[in-house]
Amino acid sequence: MNAIDKAPAPGAALRLISGNHACALGAVAAGCRFFAGYPITPSSEVAERLSRLLPEVDGVFVQMEDEIASIAAVIGASMGGVKALTATSGPGFSLKQENIGYAAGAEIPCVIVNVMRGGPSTGMPTRPSQSDIMQSRWGSHGDYPMIVLAPASVREIYTETIRAFYLAETCRTPVVLLYDQVIAQLTETVELSDGENRAPAERKWASGPRETYRPYAADEDGIPAMSRPGAGYRVHTTGLTHGENGFPTQNPEAVARNLGRLFTKFERHREAIDSWETLGCEDADVVIVAIGISARAAMRAIDIARAKGLRLGLFRPITLWPFPEKALRDATAGAHAVLVPEMNAGQLRLEVERILGSQRVHGLHRYDGEAISPEEIAARAQALAREKTT
Amino acid sequence: MNRSNASSSSVESGQLRPTAAAAKAREPMNVLIVGVGGQGVIMVSKALASLAQSKGFEVKQSEVHGMAKRGGTVFSHVRFGPQVWSPTIPKGEADILVALEWAEGLRWLSYLKPDTGIFICDTKRIVPPFACLNRRPGAPLRYSRETPAEVKQHVAEGYAIDATQMAEELGNERAANVVLIGALSTALDFPPEDWEKALSQFVPKKTIAVNLEAFRLGRGWINEARTRVGVATVPAEAVPASMEAGYSVRLEITQQWCKSCDICVKLCPERCLRLNEERVVELAQPEKCTGCRLCELLCPDFAIRVHLDTAVPTQGAQA
Amino acid sequence: MSSTIVDSAAEFDVRDYLRKEMMPHFLCPGCGHGIALRALLWAIHELGIDKDKLAVVSGIGCAGRLSAYIDANTFHVTHGRPLAYATGLALARPDLHVVVITGDGDCLAIGGNHLIHACRRNLKLTCLMLNNEVYGMTGGQVSPTTSETRLTTTTPLGNAEPNFDACALAAAAGASFVGREVTHHVPKLKELIRAGLSHPGFAFVEVLSDCTEIFGRKNELGSSAEMVLRQKSELRPEAYRDTVDTPFRSNDLPTGVLTKTDRAEYGTAYRKAAAVQRAAKAAKSAAGISK
Repeated sequence: MNAIDKAPAPGAALRLISGNHACALGAVAAGCRFFAGYPITPSSEVAERLSRLLPEVDGVFVQMEDEIASIAAVIGASMGGVKALTATSGPGFSLKQENIGYAAGAEIPCVIVNVMRGGPSTGMPTRPSQSDIMQSRWGSHGDYPMIVLAPASVREIYTETIRAFYLAETCRTPVVLLYDQVIAQLTETVELSDGENRAPAERKWASGPRETYRPYAADEDGIPAMSRPGAGYRVHTTGLTHGENGFPTQNPEAVARNLGRLFTKFERHREAIDSWETLGCEDADVVIVAIGISARAAMRAIDIARAKGLRLGLFRPITLWPFPEKALRDATAGAHAVLVPEMNAGQLRLEVERILGSQRVHGLHRYDGEAISPEEIAARAQALAREKTT
Repeated sequence: MNRSNASSSSVESGQLRPTAAAAKAREPMNVLIVGVGGQGVIMVSKALASLAQSKGFEVKQSEVHGMAKRGGTVFSHVRFGPQVWSPTIPKGEADILVALEWAEGLRWLSYLKPDTGIFICDTKRIVPPFACLNRRPGAPLRYSRETPAEVKQHVAEGYAIDATQMAEELGNERAANVVLIGALSTALDFPPEDWEKALSQFVPKKTIAVNLEAFRLGRGWINEARTRVGVATVPAEAVPASMEAGYSVRLEITQQWCKSCDICVKLCPERCLRLNEERVVELAQPEKCTGCRLCELLCPDFAIRVHLDTAVPTQGAQA
Repeated sequence: MSSTIVDSAAEFDVRDYLRKEMMPHFLCPGCGHGIALRALLWAIHELGIDKDKLAVVSGIGCAGRLSAYIDANTFHVTHGRPLAYATGLALARPDLHVVVITGDGDCLAIGGNHLIHACRRNLKLTCLMLNNEVYGMTGGQVSPTTSETRLTTTTPLGNAEPNFDACALAAAAGASFVGREVTHHVPKLKELIRAGLSHPGFAFVEVLSDCTEIFGRKNELGSSAEMVLRQKSELRPEAYRDTVDTPFRSNDLPTGVLTKTDRAEYGTAYRKAAAVQRAAKAAKSAAGISK
């Protein structure tokens, strides 16, 4: 049984909700108490839900004047020590990029939901897409680390939202929750038991005397303790390249030290960050690598193909960035071919090719606003298997 | 001037003649009203003049205003009687001097009749800008230092009223002049209701109520004061002989922060700063420095801190 | 009578509010922004605002760099966005005193949208806009407040665009407190900022500051001292106008508190509505349980 189709525990309270609704509930369960957003299809339901939910838990919802203001307010709230979320879609995600880079550079925790719709530009607001895979990782200028989670079901949106906050807080980083329009507006019966979820994460707060506190001096885990305004530390936070004391610097040594730590700060946290699912990869001739709605189609494709005697497997990264490289290598070790079905012109395939080399890797791409069907995947996989045997 | 004539009983008896006029038959009644621009001197004189005219007297009113900037001196002569020739009151001929400001009152004292003149004065002090030419903090003001007790020795009948305070308590500081009209009304035997009618024509409609209250307050205060002692004063703070404190000025200059922008040097009112050979500010003429802090306030680099060391008894600056 | 000196500035030592290890600051010699910073810190001192509870959010540009020198919780954010960051911070942390320092380009050009909506929203924030008519940090390009005909590195023929009256803009957008002052009047500027800081809503304060090195030099406006003095002379009406009490700049910009209205503060109103909703919900569920 896979994570997506997992049966609810006996006696669990079931709810029939959409992906965006699950995101809102997950945020509140994770301790999120601030949301700032701007209306955009197909993510607006996250904002609408939270405008009702947050006041109930003494949180704050605010609809800002634009997409940029929304991410700015979210980072501002988080600088004040409050867990904060914003939700958007392609065009809004583009507008937010500069400030996402700020959050990454100044190491301010926050969660950004990007519901992928057809692009480029205004594109197809109501049609699904998976074409922000690269933007979610590389959208802002400069080098910076980024965590991107790619849930594939309503239930997983709930649990991954909670995990997104956990990772944002413990790793002091922006985390992008990336899912497509189909799952966002898909209504499923789900069980939202908090039992298996992690307890709401607490940020690592500064302690000890002000005189010795250095806001960007990391502990052994690579993550510096943050100070909360009002706690007496009175530090400076800037988007300029800074030294351990938080103040701007252009000293090459200090710059290299701090950026070097920033770029590698997830390394000691990969166990918590990495998440993937494999399905039938052990004996697979062809392994499919897919996320979101395409991964769901792939699961059905596996059934179809296996019924016909073709051994298909699925590798589904749940944490998309940093990409679970080793797990992909392991899962595809015995496969003749690797098929990457995705609703774009070849973004995930590019990363898979980088890891596995391009020889075995094939893409199945749709960018017409229609989801890829199981039959398409099964047929393509069958063709690949045939190519191999001939 | 007879005390009993000034009491309200003569007004109630229906003799609508100014008291002084009654005593001196055909001589006009001279009322001098003085103050500082903005206080309402003209309004007081207009109210009095229109009231006197309504009672059939010939009235002459002459004033200096307009040329006085806000805070400058303003005075108004009001003369009324069966016949008035000159519009101005000669020195020593004023029956009543109403002063809306303490120093202005003292300035005009010589206009009062030495034996019978009545002095009604607000203890309000408005220090004009030209009274503080010295920029040193606490430098002596060229402002009168006489106390009400000292002043009363020079006048036949004097009232020092804290009219501004009384008006403030009524909720409108600007009604201080009407408190003084109330006081003035006790020295002239026009009936109070006629005063109130005249007043109502000269104050803004919205403030009629508070002004009538101010009038009654001033009138009541004088009547009450008369029953206490011959000369009434409210306790008014004496101006100290000198407020000048002994201090020395010391400039603390953080040399590393100075960027030689020259703002302090050019804008120092005493021109006592300069840039030294290293182009860093220094106090070149400490004896000229008054410690006005302009250099400290205008330094964009926070390089100057002015200390006024009061512990040092000498005056004059030291670097 | 004791001979005490009346000297209200004596108690305020600006260095108590500076990060001295960061000094001297990076501003050019004679830059008016330093004077404005003093006035802000003086007002903060007089109001007794706890440095630990003070949060200063600033944008990009010369004005944006000021926050680094203030011994408080300081946030130097992205270009044009300090008001948006401050909105999040102030909403999430109503216990903090949030001050925004921004420049004319930061606030009126790239951040113009945030300004008008902050004015409209009326969240308790103090926005200090230092207007030196130019993009100084990037080398002196034309800004939304550059006076007409002025020379900048991008208006070699003289600025042909009309400039913004930032205070009129803020007032029109609904700001409940709007004021303007020049750096030459330090005590008055301090009083204005103090009034803004005390205002229970969004306060917009424009400071007319001088950029000597870049704007002044290009336009032959003289030394820093001359530029500061000109502020004063320009406050006088060209022709003696009807009243001396309303000072004018040569371009008709009035100073002092220009707008002050009573409007509901956004954060307070939001939390109040939320509390009412929570109470109603609690009452409803209590009633449900009792059934």
